[in-house]
Amino acid sequence: MAKGVAITGMGIISAIGNSVEENYLSLIENKIGISRISNISTVHADVIKVGEIKKTNDDLISELQLNDDNNFSRTAMIGTLAAKQAVENAGITSINEFRTGLISATSVGGMDMTEKHYYDYFEKPELVKYITCHDGGDVAEKIAEELGLKGMVSTISTACSSAANSIMLGARLIKTGKLDRVIVGGADALSKFTINGFKTLMILSDYYNKPFDNNRKGLNLGEAAAFLVLESDEIVAKQNKKVLARVSGYGNANDAYHQTASSENGDGAYLAMKKAFEVSGLKPSQIDYINVHGTATPNNDLSEGRALKRIYEDEKVPDFSSTKPFTGHTLAAAAAIEAVYSVLSLQNNVVYPNLNFETQMEEFDLTPQTYLKNKNIEHVLSNSFGFGGNCSTLIFSKS
Amino acid sequence: MTQNKTNIQSYITIQNNEIVLNGTSVFKIEPTDFADFSKQAYRNFEMQYSKFFKMDALSKLAFLGSELLLSPITSTEEENNIALVLANKSSSLDTDVKYQESISDKQNYFPSPAVFVYTLPNICLGEISIRHQLKSENSFFIFDTFNTEFMSNYSDILLNTNKADMVLCGWVEFFKDDYKAFLCTISKEENTKFTNETINTLYNK
Repeated sequence: MAKGVAITGMGIISAIGNSVEENYLSLIENKIGISRISNISTVHADVIKVGEIKKTNDDLISELQLNDDNNFSRTAMIGTLAAKQAVENAGITSINEFRTGLISATSVGGMDMTEKHYYDYFEKPELVKYITCHDGGDVAEKIAEELGLKGMVSTISTACSSAANSIMLGARLIKTGKLDRVIVGGADALSKFTINGFKTLMILSDYYNKPFDNNRKGLNLGEAAAFLVLESDEIVAKQNKKVLARVSGYGNANDAYHQTASSENGDGAYLAMKKAFEVSGLKPSQIDYINVHGTATPNNDLSEGRALKRIYEDEKVPDFSSTKPFTGHTLAAAAAIEAVYSVLSLQNNVVYPNLNFETQMEEFDLTPQTYLKNKNIEHVLSNSFGFGGNCSTLIFSKS
Repeated sequence: MTQNKTNIQSYITIQNNEIVLNGTSVFKIEPTDFADFSKQAYRNFEMQYSKFFKMDALSKLAFLGSELLLSPITSTEEENNIALVLANKSSSLDTDVKYQESISDKQNYFPSPAVFVYTLPNICLGEISIRHQLKSENSFFIFDTFNTEFMSNYSDILLNTNKADMVLCGWVEFFKDDYKAFLCTISKEENTKFTNETINTLYNK
């Protein structure tokens, strides 16, 4: 069995906390981050609930000590905060000492600034600076600049599986010896663009999201950023570093079914999990906890559940839960925050509760873990599926 | 990991109202906008796929290129393990702007699901996958310029680790009617046609 790629640092900011510790405490104390929206003025404010980071853009600017003439989007600011935490947590003091890269995921990019300033650009020259922050790639460039990182920088945009693909690419760059060290993850801020878009698709819940419940009504959007530091075994040994956990498996497959909907039998999800098991050399029965994608849309949970039943055939599906009732669906950042939660699950031997669950779905006999459970955890599987049929699975293992 | 030499099998370039397949111009019309150009190209090659007409411009561009490269080699009977690795500069910005315009005027507020679904660059990968029933690995990267070294490395890793039998790799850029697509198929199969070429040299032709 392959050993997997070492994770040596993590950073996160989400609706349930501004650090790894705060996020963990919220998860084990059932403190949810879903509320009414306060940072964006929208006509849907009284209808929708979101997982919002309770910091204004001004709060973030002062926390990051940015100049008045900065043109950071909210996505770039929360991304920078999380990436800095991850680098610090990994004990990195000289970022360019080894061949170090940054792979960042986003789907929103600088859309929050564009929608805010779009009609003022002609009248207010002082706002024109925000035009260049719209580009999805700008977020990663900004983070790299703040970290002083001079190596490879790339952005992946594959919707809600983006961060899983960023972690997967990072792991492969380490495995193939292209990089010694890589900071991987993603960031997405809330924006009217995504709120209105998902509202238009009629998959937003007007209440707290209920993954894998028969009466689920849809998702709550959220915003977050999280990054992990991956390092080669040589660098880990050389510096005598503590390994938090390992990325032991990954897989990506296309559902080849529809632009936004998942296929009835979860073909893409099934194949992504199957590939991840092949890479890790693990058997499905060796997984102790599955952090499901579990967006609580009627379509996702049905498709994902069927894919799980197919992977486990006649075996029992292990304890599983969706953490989206805590954080909301954070789109391109989702797989990154859930990677942090997966590592925390391995470190603390816990299965997080799938909150708000009441009634088992009629299509299959799958019941998520509904309360915090303590048990030994050796391997965690985490799913993330995106529009465009892009399905990804990651497996994390104890170091 | 066995390091086998990988070879470019075919390539296609779409820009300036012209489609060039393996170095030969196969379709060229008088200067027009992309909507018209893409429709004429679709008709010229008699592509029977009505979903084409609801796609956004980026997906149409990627679809046209992949159609001419993949249709002759994909089979409907067996699984085609062809990975998709595409990149561009402007993401889905062209469609993002259209969607944004539909929601920014309170008096004229018509968000459309049909437009929103295309506000992500990787949707074009989904369209290609649906068309050819590809359940293979796929990723969409955003770079300032076509990073040919990265893209060919990525493709080689996929082929050398047996994650894919073939990779459709390339650049599909579309913003405000300014477009360029460059796509090529790469595999371990021998092909002497482009021995002295790389993604970089072909892209810049």
